[in-house]
Amino acid sequence: MGDYNVFHNMPWSGSYAIYFFVIGISAAMFFFSALSWYRPEFQTIRKPAFYISFVLLACGGLLLINDLTQPLRFLNIMNPAYLNLTSPLAWGGLNLVSFGLVSVAYFVMMRKNDEAMSRKLAIVGALLALGLPIYTGFDLTVHQNRPVWNTPLMPVLFVALSILSGAAVATFIAKDKNLLVMLRRFMLWSAGAVAAMLVSLLGTTAYGGSGSELTFMFMTSGTLGAIFVGLGILVGTVAPIAVLLTSYGRQQSGMMTAGALLLVGGIALRYSILIGGQIVQTYF
Amino acid sequence: MKRYAMVIDLRRCIGCDACMVACKAEFDVPLGVFRTWVPYKVVGKYPNVRKMFLPRLCNHCDDPPCVRACPVGATYKVEDGGFVLQRYERCIGCKACMASCPYNARFMLPKHRTYTDITRVVDKCTFCHHRVTQGLVPACVQTCVGRSRIFGDLNDPASEVSYLVSTQSTQVLRPEEGTKPHVFYIGADRNHTEFGRKIYDPQDVMDAERAVFNKNHI
Repeated sequence: MGDYNVFHNMPWSGSYAIYFFVIGISAAMFFFSALSWYRPEFQTIRKPAFYISFVLLACGGLLLINDLTQPLRFLNIMNPAYLNLTSPLAWGGLNLVSFGLVSVAYFVMMRKNDEAMSRKLAIVGALLALGLPIYTGFDLTVHQNRPVWNTPLMPVLFVALSILSGAAVATFIAKDKNLLVMLRRFMLWSAGAVAAMLVSLLGTTAYGGSGSELTFMFMTSGTLGAIFVGLGILVGTVAPIAVLLTSYGRQQSGMMTAGALLLVGGIALRYSILIGGQIVQTYF
Repeated sequence: MKRYAMVIDLRRCIGCDACMVACKAEFDVPLGVFRTWVPYKVVGKYPNVRKMFLPRLCNHCDDPPCVRACPVGATYKVEDGGFVLQRYERCIGCKACMASCPYNARFMLPKHRTYTDITRVVDKCTFCHHRVTQGLVPACVQTCVGRSRIFGDLNDPASEVSYLVSTQSTQVLRPEEGTKPHVFYIGADRNHTEFGRKIYDPQDVMDAERAVFNKNHI
């Protein structure tokens, strides 16, 4: 209404975007480590990718718990008597814990050089890792009153952003040429997918009714314009695709440049989508 | 089975805010947050202008998105009566319910409170469950000087709310969300209750007010 004398807050602050970012990278890095058992190009980053994944998982878990106003009650999510499985957060909590446990088991088996078991755990862990960006996407999708969030694109977009950010980080630790070729493909295809999804997202948001239209305005020409369009789309998606398509983008330094840009885009897009879906509601 | 609802006749609301005060007193609602609030908007063109008041509260939806969103069952619907209530001891403070509520009816309690240790959990209007189960009406209804707020059982054909909902033209807020809200308005104009273009370019004074207003928030 605009003239209201009572103001409302955004429930989810920007720190959730950092959580989405680190957990997305963690999932993708585990995926690359798991892939190393099946694709020789990835063998050289098997351990470093896993270590990065595990450290980021721990950071993400701590960030998530810290974001709760009752941090010690995070255990309530594990309480079967309390668990409400209609909430994506409940599934997310279970997914996160299961992924952590499988990661520990994977680490132990890797240290023991038990290849058979490591391969099995790699598959289970990779599936659980896939669940992380999917659940974070669903966290947003399920809120039917939120423009931008309430679209089936969101879980898929978060999976693409996860692969993109993970591949971008991997370019900094990769040394093998064949691996770099693979990572370039991962970055290019996932950035392309993100770009295509953003076009759809902008279209449905711009034509989605008064609240959505206003959200579109906030995200493009309004307060979030510089972050969403500037950093997220131009610097973080279009520019790295352009770099990767040039001959410079086939060299490691070019890929690292594109990777750095993709990381900037990854955090900017997550932040602006998270905040963008909440701005209009604060005026209702 | 009972199904409580509230009818708010906007033609009778004078914006005295007595309902807000009664609610604050009933529940010791802290500064900066509200279980019910009465926003206003100046509508019309000079010299024919008036203040339009829109008393707000939890809509005690039949299909509440907050109940669905809570990972630990801290918010639940009482089937007999239709109250949507909170279990404070379960709430982890993830704010998923706040994100899912189309009506901004939920808020986070601040860190410090004088008379209770119920802090840092989400709270909301309860339709005065404790009063209604004792045969009383909610505090805001009790105190409304213009009888703008009317409360009762929608399933009782003899109740005033049943009569009003069946005979008057009523509106609910954001019906497109499919939440089946149980706060009905008489005289609400969708052109004024929905988002207006004005919010895209809010006045600076609003930002300053918001900053002051949010001091008590976590």
